[in-house]
Amino acid sequence: MSDFTIILRSLRARLFSTVITCFTVAIAVGLMLVLLSMRDAGRQAFERGSGNMHLLVSRDQSPLVSILNGIFYAAAPRSPITYAEYDKISSMAPFEFCIPIQLGDSYEARWPAVATSAEFFTGFMPAPDTAWKFAQGRAFQQEMEIVLGAVVASSTGHKIGDKLVLTHGIAQSRRATDGEKDAVAPHVHNEFKYTVVGILAPTGTIHDRAVFTNLDSTWLIHAFDRREREEHAAGDDSHKHDDHDHADHDHDHDEPPMTLADIEMEDRKITTIYLRLPTRRGSDVSSSIGPVAAALVRDPSFNPPLTVASPVTEINKLFVIVGSVDQIFVAMAVVVMVSSGIGILLSLYNSMSERRRQIAVLRVLGCPQIRIFGLVITESAVIGAIGAVAGLAISIAGCWLVAGILKDRLGLVVQPAFTLDLTLFVLLGTVILAALAGVIPAILAYRTPVANNLKPIG
Amino acid sequence: MTAPDSSTAPPALEITNLRFRYPGGTDWIVDLASLRLGAAEQALLTGGSGVGKSTLLQLIAGLMEPSEGRINVAGRHIHALHGAARDQYRGRTIGMIFQTFNLLHGFSALENVMAAMMFSSIPRAEHRPRAEKLLTHLGIQRQNAQPSELSVGQQQRVAVARAVACDPVLVLADEPTASLDPENALAAMELIQQTCRERNAALLCVSHDPSMASRFQRRESLTALRTHSAATA
Repeated sequence: MSDFTIILRSLRARLFSTVITCFTVAIAVGLMLVLLSMRDAGRQAFERGSGNMHLLVSRDQSPLVSILNGIFYAAAPRSPITYAEYDKISSMAPFEFCIPIQLGDSYEARWPAVATSAEFFTGFMPAPDTAWKFAQGRAFQQEMEIVLGAVVASSTGHKIGDKLVLTHGIAQSRRATDGEKDAVAPHVHNEFKYTVVGILAPTGTIHDRAVFTNLDSTWLIHAFDRREREEHAAGDDSHKHDDHDHADHDHDHDEPPMTLADIEMEDRKITTIYLRLPTRRGSDVSSSIGPVAAALVRDPSFNPPLTVASPVTEINKLFVIVGSVDQIFVAMAVVVMVSSGIGILLSLYNSMSERRRQIAVLRVLGCPQIRIFGLVITESAVIGAIGAVAGLAISIAGCWLVAGILKDRLGLVVQPAFTLDLTLFVLLGTVILAALAGVIPAILAYRTPVANNLKPIG
Repeated sequence: MTAPDSSTAPPALEITNLRFRYPGGTDWIVDLASLRLGAAEQALLTGGSGVGKSTLLQLIAGLMEPSEGRINVAGRHIHALHGAARDQYRGRTIGMIFQTFNLLHGFSALENVMAAMMFSSIPRAEHRPRAEKLLTHLGIQRQNAQPSELSVGQQQRVAVARAVACDPVLVLADEPTASLDPENALAAMELIQQTCRERNAALLCVSHDPSMASRFQRRESLTALRTHSAATA
């Protein structure tokens, strides 16, 4: 028989109230731990996608949009970069890699298609110190070969050797539906069949949700579309496609597909360039990134000017923006936590009328007032501790659930960071808050008049 | 705790010029010139309702502050002790038995007895064996039962066990048989008196039940004592 026995008996005597109060504390602790642990994990997940590139070049309206479009495939970039411009950029400095990317097509209007060079798989790493690995097959080596990201392969069930066709345009892009000039409404190119030659191992990045082909393949489709537009403009009705509307039907021509010889200079466009500055072991290139970016932006020969973004900088900016929302969530969690503290207070306060006789008897048995005070404070802290531990379990389960959903739906690998400092801070904070919530009931218990509460009831 | 030697030990209770009234009140609720109870002595204090019997017991236990006078329990002026010191002294030297037993609900019979020892100087390792032995001696076999699972007579026995668990010098019994029928009341009083005798504890029993008078050699009327004229030794 100890003070702890008295506390446990008291908690058990009002089991329903105790369970509900512990549950509210657990929800508050769980919510706070999920928010705090996922905040850093979310940033790390975003940073993984940019891999080992230093700069991203495009003609998007802002560096942040450039990163969202160029790395996270949020939408098709609006203005292209000509291949001649790409050549010039690649010769401006001895870059470790300068990888051209053409975005804008998709598979099943769901999975973004990345047209790029072979260097994408050899130079660019999707996550720091994590090179591409092929689960099956190999990288593309010629046109009309396609490599599937891990999530695409698992979701579609495609295997090596399967044939598939791409959609010109991304469903998510609202450019065409918004009536933007030169925008292409999504349409399927059945005449260009791709062969799956490789399936990538999971990287835990957004790239797991993309398909990859070489630039020539995409340029062939561009050339095909260009020729159709030219024929329509010239009034050629040999295709019997008067009032041709890409959005209204899919191409399914019997004519042979275009050949590489049909690709003209104006078809050779890209949307994005991944850049990595030359690095040496032990050297820091961060001071060089800014000047290189500035030189590219200010170069008058690029008209309209290029948008050059540092992924690290832009992701930091993004999280500054998201951070204010994040703070609202944390504030909400604090409010829930304080509410649960008030819940503890009310639970104990309401129980005091039932416990006056017990307190009076303990006093008669020789229990000092200060020990009665301590018993109530400890009981309150125990409720907080039970809630905190349950909240930790809830948060672990919650993070596991959220991480699973993010991985399945977005291909993002989010690893919640339950640091010892963070966990201890929240758990100890909860216990202290709970103990404070017990102060008023403890004062009531301390002041409980003994004589009045020993009288027979009724 | 070793039982005191009744021949050399100080009186279990010594009251001198005790008066009590509630703050702002004009009437004395308790007005007692003198009352002395020797070690292991047993006395019945009688009186009608409202004469301050229960209040007197609360004053003796140090649960209320007298307006005037002095109360010594086992030779010590209990109201000169303050806070935790008085609480602990009460726990060690005084056992109390109530009309409604006031057992702790949610605690087993065994735990109710052990609870009395929590605040004493008895080593924790001895709490359980002492409580088990005491309850067995008083005929309680279902020691892990909750009070609500026991008969009224069994609850009375648990209350007696709790009162004497710390080998007190003085047991205060406040209408201990008022909830019982006459037959059980006599049995209960016999149990209380016998247990106090066995443990060398003095007993001051407050009751308005005339049938209890025959069980005590010493009987005091609180109404008579109120006049300051009937101090006895």
